[in-house]
Amino acid sequence: MIQMNRVAEVKMGGLEIITGDKSELKTFVGSCVAICLYDIYAKVASMAHIMLPKKLNEKKQTVEEERGKYADDALMHMMDGMIQLGADPKRIQAKMAGGAAIFSHESETGLFNVGPRNISAIKQILHENNIPLVSEDTGANFGRWVKFSLNSGEMTITSNLKKTEKII
Amino acid sequence: MLKYADNLQQLEQVLDSYIAAKTIPSLNVILEEPISYFLKKTQEITITNFDSLIPDSEKMNVMSAVYVKCSGDLHIGVLWYMLEKELKPLAKKLLPESHVNEFDKLAISSISEIGNILTASIVNAIDNDKGCKVWSSVPGFAIESLNTLLEVVMSDFGYHSDAVVVSAVEFRSLHSGIELQMLLIQDPNEVEKLVV
Repeated sequence: MIQMNRVAEVKMGGLEIITGDKSELKTFVGSCVAICLYDIYAKVASMAHIMLPKKLNEKKQTVEEERGKYADDALMHMMDGMIQLGADPKRIQAKMAGGAAIFSHESETGLFNVGPRNISAIKQILHENNIPLVSEDTGANFGRWVKFSLNSGEMTITSNLKKTEKII
Repeated sequence: MLKYADNLQQLEQVLDSYIAAKTIPSLNVILEEPISYFLKKTQEITITNFDSLIPDSEKMNVMSAVYVKCSGDLHIGVLWYMLEKELKPLAKKLLPESHVNEFDKLAISSISEIGNILTASIVNAIDNDKGCKVWSSVPGFAIESLNTLLEVVMSDFGYHSDAVVVSAVEFRSLHSGIELQMLLIQDPNEVEKLVV
């Protein structure tokens, strides 16, 4: 019997949408944010591995493998793709994890800690699109494995360094 | 397709000369022992494929790291890292025992300062040789998996470019055996400024 791979792995800057053929979305994030949108009734979910808050050059074409790179771009692609696959925009909810500030600075300038800026940008876009953020595990200073189950709607966050597992 | 493949070898030679002339003497003074180094590779990669830089078996290795971001005529990121377990032998060379045992703020500050000094050695060499004015940031310190550290650094470059040129260098102290790794990351569009 052929064993199907039921996990869709999301690469840095990538975006995946799953329906019944896959049951789980998975990625690893540090300062990047793993945002999941899902319609639990239609069984459609998407995950983006967001690197940066906003596309600076709006005219620049988004390549397929980097649809999840920028928060503004990614959420638009996620919503469009999910609706095409049967999701009801009114039922779509969000969960997210990541956005850590990995490097500490004596001056605390946050000069290259893009994590908090990613979190803030995503919340703003979710708010503007009336998408409820059900739960989040964001900030702090450690990397996270993030798994989202399409069946349960649960997001499992694991830190190898802190040796913790959390379900949100 | 590498846009600047022809320049990469030349870039490697330039960096090699800076490291030999400036970085090695600095590290030699800090550690008070002879240092060897090995410029492993200079390559152009797309940012989203940064994981190709490290073998899967090393991705979750926990590293102590200092990151210094340089801006001005050139945009450069310099990531210094070593296995976490090797941090104490390094700290012992710099600090009284009490600070090393607790690994307090002073210890972190000292390690960060090493990253700062070594980065400055390269920045000064660039200034002297090419006349490029480059300013470095306050160094950031972290203890994390190599995968996480690289993700942060690569994201930082994501605003300006879809690709980066990465030079990997390994330093080793010949008496105490301390191993220090450096990744020097550049915007590919700026490589020509260093090879002209």
